[in-house]
Parts: sequence; C-alpha cells; structure tokens
Amino acid sequence: MDEFRWDFSVVFEYQANLYRGLGVTFELSIIIILASMVGGIIIGAGRYSKNRLFNWPATAYIELFRNTPVLIQIVWFYYAFPVLIGIQMEGFYAALIGIGLNMIAYSADIVRGGIQSIEKGQWEAAKAIGMNYFSVMRRVILPQALRRMIPPFTSRTVEAVKATSLASTIAVAELLYEGQVLANTVYRPFELYTAIAVLYFFATYPLVLFSYWLERRLAIDSEMRL
Amino acid sequence: MGYEWEFGLVFKYWDVLFDGFLGTLRVGIVSLILGAIGGLILALMRMSRYRLLSWPAIVLIEFFRTTPLLIQLFWIYFALPVVIGITFGAYAACIITLSVNSAAFFAEIFRAGINSMERSQWEGGKALGMSQSTLMRRIILPQAVRRMVPPFLERSFELMKGTTNVSAIAYADLLYRALELSARLYRPIEILTLVALVFFVMLTLTSMLVRYMENRLDAARL
Amino acid sequence: MSEIILKVESLHKYFGDHHVLRGIDMEVRRGQTVCMIGSSGSGKSTFLRCINFMEIPSAGRLTIHGQVVGQETGELEGAPVYDYRENELVRVRTKVGMVFQQFNLFPHMKVQQNVMEGLVTVLKMDKEEAVSRARANLDKVGLLVKADQYPSRLSGGEQQRVAIARALAMEPNVILFDEVTSSLDPETVGEVLLSMRDLSNESMTMIVVTHELGFAYHVADEVLFLYEGLIHERGSPDEVLKNPQAERTKGFLAGFTDFYF
Repeated sequence: MDEFRWDFSVVFEYQANLYRGLGVTFELSIIIILASMVGGIIIGAGRYSKNRLFNWPATAYIELFRNTPVLIQIVWFYYAFPVLIGIQMEGFYAALIGIGLNMIAYSADIVRGGIQSIEKGQWEAAKAIGMNYFSVMRRVILPQALRRMIPPFTSRTVEAVKATSLASTIAVAELLYEGQVLANTVYRPFELYTAIAVLYFFATYPLVLFSYWLERRLAIDSEMRL
Repeated sequence: MGYEWEFGLVFKYWDVLFDGFLGTLRVGIVSLILGAIGGLILALMRMSRYRLLSWPAIVLIEFFRTTPLLIQLFWIYFALPVVIGITFGAYAACIITLSVNSAAFFAEIFRAGINSMERSQWEGGKALGMSQSTLMRRIILPQAVRRMVPPFLERSFELMKGTTNVSAIAYADLLYRALELSARLYRPIEILTLVALVFFVMLTLTSMLVRYMENRLDAARL
Repeated sequence: MSEIILKVESLHKYFGDHHVLRGIDMEVRRGQTVCMIGSSGSGKSTFLRCINFMEIPSAGRLTIHGQVVGQETGELEGAPVYDYRENELVRVRTKVGMVFQQFNLFPHMKVQQNVMEGLVTVLKMDKEEAVSRARANLDKVGLLVKADQYPSRLSGGEQQRVAIARALAMEPNVILFDEVTSSLDPETVGEVLLSMRDLSNESMTMIVVTHELGFAYHVADEVLFLYEGLIHERGSPDEVLKNPQAERTKGFLAGFTDFYF
C-alpha cells in the first residue's frame, strides 16, 4: 500500500491564488456586513414598530430569509432571478444579494431583540417630555440598544464570512473556489483543503475571540453605566 | 416582457423532488441523532479534568464551529480519504461532516447549560449533604436541560438548513435534485422557488412547534 | 380664583373588561397642589397616566388650559368618547410633565443632558439656551454640582430630583408625580419631598399621587381619596385626613400608623 506523504510545498507554491481568493472572500464579507448593519436597523425598527404597515412586511421578510437555507437563496438569485428580470447575473452579485439579504434578516431580528430589551420606563420618560416615536428611537432607545446588539451581531459577522464559502458553488472566485480549482489541477486535496480550512479559521477566530472579550467588557460596563 | 409561470411542468416531476426531499430528511435526521450523542461525548471530554481529553475536544469544537461547513465537507470527502486510505461515499461523508459539525455546537450548548447553573444551586444541594452524582441528577441537570432546549432546537434548525451543503458533493438531496431538474427543464424559477417554499414551510412549522414547546417549558418552570 | 389649568370630566378607563376608572370628575387651578391617595389598585396611577395620555382614556373629556383634547366621536355610558391623534398628544405632553416612580433617567446621557434633552430635541431650543435653562433647573433641585455625572453614579433620591428638574425644564402647565418616593430608601425620601414642597410653595401646579400622608397634609391644597376608580371623598387636607367623613376613607387612613393628626 502506498504510504501517504505530506507535501505542503504545493500550498506555498500556489499561495498567490489562495490569497487572491481570500481577497474576494473579504470583499464579499465586508459589503455584506456593512449592508446588514444598515439594513438590519431599518428592518429591525420596522419589525418592532406597532404600525402594521411596517411590521408585517418586515416580519414576512425576516421569516422568509431565516427559514430557508442560505445556499438556496444564493442559488435562486443566480439561476432563477436573472430569468425573472431578464438580466444576466454574475455569480459575485448573486452571492452578494443572497447572503446579504439573509444576513440583513438576521441582523434585523437582533436589532428588534435589542430594542425590545430596553425597559418600558425609558419609552415612557421620553414620551412624557413630548418626544414622538422617531425621536424616542433616535435619542433614547437605539443608543442604548446598540450596545446590547454588539455581541450577537459579532457572531453574525462570523456566520457571514463562513457563508461566503457557499459562493464557490456558483463559481465565484473566493477562497474555497480557488482551492477547488487548485485541488483539481495539482491533486493535493489534503494539503490544500487543510490549508484553506486553516485560513478560514484564522479569518474568523479573531472575530470569535473579540466577541467573547466584548461580552465580558459589556457585562462589566453595564453594571457601571446602563 | 412578462414571465410565464409554468408550475404544471414541475408538478409532473414531483417524484424526483420528493426523492430529494427524502434525501434531505435522511441526512438531517441521522446527523441530528449522531450529532447529539457526539455533542454529549465532546461536552464531557471538554469539561473533563484530564487535559488529554479536554484539549483535543477544545480543538475540535473550536475548529468545527468557526470554519465553514462546506470546507469541512470537502475536507472529509476529498482530503481525509487520501490520508487514511479509506474512501467515503457521498452519503457517509455528509453524515460524518454534519454530525461532527453539529456535535461541536451541541457540546458548547451542553457545557453552557451546565455552567449557567448558579453557584447557589450547587451550594444549596451540598449543604443538604447531597453527593455529587445526586446533586447532578436531581438539581442541576433537570434545570440545565430546560435551559439547553431552546439553543439545541435552534441548532437543529440550522442543521436542517445545512443539509443543503451536501448538494455540492452531488448527494441527492432536495437542492441537488432541484438543480438537476432545472438543468433538464430550463425552469429554474418554478423549481427553485418551489424548493425554497418547501424548506420554508417545513422550517416555519418546525419553528412554530419549537416556540410552542418553549412556552410550555417556560410555563412549567414558573 | 386662579384659572383652571386642567379639567377632567367623566373619565373612564377600561383594561379589557376591567373597569378601572369609573367616571372621575376633578379640576386643578393654577398654583394648586392636589394630592391623590388610595390603596393599590384603586386606579391612582392609571388616572395620572390618562392625564398625559400615557394611557388613552376609554371615555371622558380632558380640558387642558381651556382646550379640549381630542375629537369627540361618540358616547359610552353617558360619557363622551374622544379620538386622539398621536401628534396632538405629543404636543400635550410638552405641557404636562410627569415624574415616575422608577425615575427613568436616560442612563446613556449625563445628568445635564438628561435635563436638556427635551428642550433640544422636542422644543428645538438653541443649545446655549437649553444648557442655561437646564442648569438653572438643576440648581433649583440642588443638584447643579452633579451636572456632569452619569445617573448611575447618583443616589435614588438624587436621580429622582434630576427627574423633577427634567420635567421642570420643559416649563409645563402642570406636573404629575406618580408615587415618586415609593421606590426610594427611607433616607432619601425626605430630600425629594423637600424639593416638591419648594415647588408647591413657588406655585407650581401639581398633581401628586402618594402614600406620604404627612406631605399631603402639610403641602396639598386639596386631597382626593380614590376608591375603586371613583373619588370617594375630597376636600382640604384637614377635612379628608383629619376628619374623614366616609367609612372607607377612615378605613384606609387607619392603616397608616405613622401619622397622627
């Protein structure tokens, strides 16, 4: 039986490809994270509103995108959506829209949860001095809620980075795709996939550690401030 | 130009899609069971006093929680066989990956549940003269288990969504069959929308069931 | 006789089937301090919260500074029913101040900012003007020295006085006090009551829901005893607290062993 011999030299030889893929992964991730921050606040506030005009569409959107797998969302925007609107869709954008909408839905729910965690007394005091809904949100509720949203949101960003790997299935040249291409040309799947796994680990683990630190920091802080 | 929907065509091939649906269920449920058991073992290892047990557990847990499921799947299907000389079929690779992945998350859920028990509970039992095992059995675990149920169900939920990854290594789950069918019939909108709807209905019903059970659990606790 | 700042006619409030306020009539004149007493569940807080529309009345007419609030739309058991638009209520609340039992200061803002917030955000005041008015009101309650602190650093009594300053700064026509000393440590109750007495002496129009009978006796111009959603007895402090006429009033007061009139 042929003994397996490790040969990580392949990885180093083609590291440029991998880093290129990593670049695309980061590109996708950053856009998605920023979009989910903005979109999350807007839709989250809508979800929290008692006005049905805002609440129902927001709820429907959140439920739809949280209760379907993100891979299906990506694939739908790549194959189905272009036919529907008659425009060609590049893989990168399909992945961006699919994962982006998915992350916005999760962020919206985090925002709603954060807002809901602010006790009623804050609403009452703000209303009692004559603030309308928007002022209450903007000046009193959101500033406090944002702080509470940071830990779960950080977890979400980790999920976003992981989700970008799914873009490889629609031929987006991110990290996993580059790895696949290499694995099929150089026939060193073990070394390559291990290296890629490690790269993903180093891309996301700092975020995870950051969220642990953040959680502890906020717990101490909240006793002093909020 | 308006799009002409043609769901009729899709329904003709419902048996293909149903076959895929069964594939999804098969992978999901088996992985869930194995993952839960694995999670328990990993949690015990993680909490063990012996570094020989806890360190490998920590490494495995952290690694499988922070890397994408897809790369884990590829690694187990393509990379691992090269090293250990055993090839896996697509089904086996999917089960292994999804089980270990879920086990890592479940392990953390179990551990967090136990750790979340306030000292006062331990001390109350000890002061009564309870042994460690009785304490665990009668005071700690019953309460801890109740706390673990929501995140456990949440993770199972994620697992069912994660089964779609298997389509990437050509295991015939619902998504794979859908993509196959789309390629044959040139009707990606109807097929993929339908498949999305199937998942949506299945998962929404499950999450409603989960919320119902959570409320029952809460009521019991109060 | 000074003008009537607030007039309440046939105020009813239902929570589901629960008829909490069963037709309250009362009025408050400028400069008056009205104290409302009664057991928990009698509806005192609900009454107060209807006045600044934190709760929406089920029926009844509220007239603030001569203006009826809301649009009349019908009738319920002989009392007029009004429809209220949120933007009108928002304006009403700038003229009716409220101090809460739980203070409800904004924890993410310093004390001075708390007091200024309404002035800047709602009244659209100039920042300098707002700052000087805020500081003046903080000084009034004796807490100017804490202007630059966060609320969490202050004692309960101090926080409550900041809350009073916050309400004062809006220069409302009337201030509502909802059991503002009930959550405080006994040591700090006094300083808050003192601030309130000073306000009353300066002819601020106040409606105070309280258990502090001593305060009611010495400071109030009128005392209302609320029982099961209706004003059971009303009059001067001497009349209601010292010589109560109704059995229920006597029964209620008998429970208070600290006060001897």
